[in-house]
Amino acid sequence: MQTADQDSELVRLAQAGNAKAFEALVVKYQRRIARHVARYVRHSGDVEDVVQDVFIRAYRGLASFRGDSAFFSWLYRIATNAALSHLKRDPGDLLLGDDAPEERAEAFEPGVSDAENPERTLMAKQIADTIQRALTRLQPELAEALMLYEVEGKPYAEIAGILDIPIGTVRTRIYRAREFIAKRLEPVLGSQRSQRW
Amino acid sequence: MSLKVSLLLDGQLAAHEVKDALDETTADPGLRDRYTVYRLVGDALRGNSTPDDGYSIRIFDRIRREGMRIESGYDPLADNR
Repeated sequence: MQTADQDSELVRLAQAGNAKAFEALVVKYQRRIARHVARYVRHSGDVEDVVQDVFIRAYRGLASFRGDSAFFSWLYRIATNAALSHLKRDPGDLLLGDDAPEERAEAFEPGVSDAENPERTLMAKQIADTIQRALTRLQPELAEALMLYEVEGKPYAEIAGILDIPIGTVRTRIYRAREFIAKRLEPVLGSQRSQRW
Repeated sequence: MSLKVSLLLDGQLAAHEVKDALDETTADPGLRDRYTVYRLVGDALRGNSTPDDGYSIRIFDRIRREGMRIESGYDPLADNR
């Protein structure tokens, strides 16, 4: 399956009324959409409202998604529209005068507000630290495959070419890397389980 | 089965395998947890280390609360409210 249509079956199921398929897409893209919205909108509470609006619009409009572009590209365009609509209603939320919106967006963590919720900020730091520590203990070939996929954005087939391994090995290496890190995150995330999907 | 969750997340399953994998994942809290944690790991590696503190749950709640339906004539890209 190619990267551009990697969501196509989940989208098809969602279009047929399978709510769980849509939820899987929300879980998958919520942070990336939030980061994009944060490029336009100042307050973190408003970012969450806009992100909700993005997924509400996407859900209502699933029938209009024809698969001409990747699902995430479609979602991204909806997010841009929703953020601009929000700014029309509330120009005070505009990031005018902010000379570093990209850096602000990079630093943005959905749902996290330093001043309002230091516990969440601490947890985010614990997650980042735990993942960094886990990476240093991970077998290099597993870390390499995971980083090529998640950070470099390479599709599985390209990773197989780069590492000169079968695509089945790419699949298992990425899975084993995730599992290794997930196990080390369990103590950090344990109390949150009921709040997740 | 966690391998399937990883492949589901990355769109690496064949089309005919997706629904079964989705059903199995959503029916099992442990597998659902893996799906969200694998995603969290990827997001964190890209520099966003926030926990999922109910963000997605609030989106699903709002969809249910507002009784949302897929609307055949609605184009979200033309929505400039």
